Amino acid sequence: MNATVGLPRALLYHKYGDLWTSFFETLGVPTVVSPPTNRAILERGSRLAVDETCLPMKIFLGHVDELLSKADYVLVPRVASLVRGETTCVKFLGAYDVTLNSIPNARLLEYDVDVVNGKRQAPEMRRLGRSFERNVTKVMYAYARAYRESKRRHLEHARQQERAALAPGLKVLVVGHPYNIRDELIGVPVVSILREQGASVLVAEMSDASEAKSLSARISRDVPWTFNKELLGAVEHYRPLVDGIVFLVTFPCGPDSLMTELCVRRLDGMPTIVLVLDELQGEAGLRTRLESFVDLLKMRPGGRFATDAVMGVRP
Amino acid sequence: MSESGGHVLSFPHMGNYHVPMVTLASMLDTEILVAPRMTRRTLELGTRYSPEFVCIPFKYNLGNFIESLESGANLLVQAGGGCRFGFYAEVQEAILRDSGYEFEMLRLFGSFELRDYHRQLRRINPKLTFRRALWHYRLASRQTNALDVVEDYSRKNCGFEVEDGAFERAFEAFLGKLGRTQSFAEVDTLERETLEELAAIPTERPDDALKVGVVGELYVVMEPFSNFFVEKELAKRGVEVHRHMSVSEMIAHSGRNGPKHLRKLIEMSGPYLHYHIGAHGTESVGLARQFMQDGFDGVLHLKPFGCMPEVNAMTALQRMSRENLFPILFFSYDAQSSETGVRTRLEAFCDMLRMRRRRDPGLAEAMEVCA
Repeated sequence: MNATVGLPRALLYHKYGDLWTSFFETLGVPTVVSPPTNRAILERGSRLAVDETCLPMKIFLGHVDELLSKADYVLVPRVASLVRGETTCVKFLGAYDVTLNSIPNARLLEYDVDVVNGKRQAPEMRRLGRSFERNVTKVMYAYARAYRESKRRHLEHARQQERAALAPGLKVLVVGHPYNIRDELIGVPVVSILREQGASVLVAEMSDASEAKSLSARISRDVPWTFNKELLGAVEHYRPLVDGIVFLVTFPCGPDSLMTELCVRRLDGMPTIVLVLDELQGEAGLRTRLESFVDLLKMRPGGRFATDAVMGVRP
Repeated sequence: MSESGGHVLSFPHMGNYHVPMVTLASMLDTEILVAPRMTRRTLELGTRYSPEFVCIPFKYNLGNFIESLESGANLLVQAGGGCRFGFYAEVQEAILRDSGYEFEMLRLFGSFELRDYHRQLRRINPKLTFRRALWHYRLASRQTNALDVVEDYSRKNCGFEVEDGAFERAFEAFLGKLGRTQSFAEVDTLERETLEELAAIPTERPDDALKVGVVGELYVVMEPFSNFFVEKELAKRGVEVHRHMSVSEMIAHSGRNGPKHLRKLIEMSGPYLHYHIGAHGTESVGLARQFMQDGFDGVLHLKPFGCMPEVNAMTALQRMSRENLFPILFFSYDAQSSETGVRTRLEAFCDMLRMRRRRDPGLAEAMEVCA
């Protein structure tokens, strides 16, 4: 079977993209990844989605729609829980059904990770692999290899950043879900504006997820979402090393609506800015706000970059 | 804390459930303060201190807490659940502390194991025995059950009362008595007598009365103030209103019974769902499809703006409505919702359902307008 599998460059792709690509590659299944998000993709997604759907989910639907003509199947997994006692955001619980109901003629591939209900990633992905390759050993090998490969890349990436965090210079931490930070329309402009202003940008990602989780308890005991726990842990980890924190939130993100509120309240004395982005976002407004934020960080009395030209402004 | 003395306990409102809640909370031997009745001020207070786009139950709960604290409460109880609700307590506590209130917060999280709850409650009342906790829990459950049975009967019938307000008067009397019941037998008797009393209220039911089912997010469905009394408004227009959601139902399907219930709901959802989509979203889809198959005239779907599980459910409901030409009206509530807007749409919905019944040729046009 030589069908092409489409991978939407949105949501979980930014976490599992390496795993999927390598898995299908080893199995000899051709894949096609949708292009980086553009206005047209967002508009397609917005048309398909219920009005109140969050921005990244609208973008996701746009990517699936984009892939319909390019691939035989589109991969839309359901990742409901990764650890006992935690869940992922509810949109991941519904992703498969939401996609099918919004695009009824889509041909989807799925696997279901729901550890709380006894469904683990490895056997589920092997089940998926079996629909392309009969030989169990080959499928197991493909998964093991993909897993190793994606883990290596993740570690490499995170360690690189951890080294960068120790370098001198003005540093800003951007806190947001990987699928927002790496999205061409959402996070990429934010990161590049910050860089243009001379700040080095760190993102809230750590090499060690379990360490992140234990650190997150210092900010919140009850946060129920695995991905948000990882973000909180990274905030706690990088907090002594950065000059300011940008919270990148998409409208109307359920988990972030509460997490950001709690975080800002608990980060006493740390300059923060909360950017809430929706599909009507204009670049000019974003630029103005980020420029002034970085200016304030540079002038901040008591900050690491305090100069004589201090204006006595406290963010 | 060695003595439970000095505590004044309060909790957020939801519908009429403060009555069994008082029974439950009295096991702690604290003073109990029922939060002041919900008004616009409750919502305004809650909104002022809440994150901007958090779902509306958070704002109502926070408003209740502030009004209770103003009236002297110092021990707040909050529960937790399967979506953002699980995170309410911690954020609300932080907001209220930063606003300068002094209080203690009791967070009861949903393991639905009575032993766990008992351990948590012992912190407030060290003398509380498991036996006593169980007795209060069971009496409160029984009261909840009676409340739900009586409410369900009124919902289905009060639209057809001959004398305006007859059902409401009987219901108010029942609510007063329910709070004073002290044993299972008393609740049994009260429930039986009330149902007889309600059945004796003269009604006039036309042969072609409309039947509408209500589904959606638990808080806005069960707190009539937050949904602008849609059920009552429907009844006023001569509609028989059905809904399955109630605290009794939630208790029945909690804990160990949960997975089985979910499987059944997914099956009931037919082609529209393959997996559980979070909190009560699956239930909304399964029950709406059931209503459709049972020949109801339409379904009302209620949810707070941005409610994640119900937004998931909406994609299924919209498809169900489109493919079967089955009327479903969606209401999304936030702090800016207007009562007039809700009432106008409800009125148009009822008109449309009547035209659909009569196979009125104007229906197609009316549906265009509504869409």
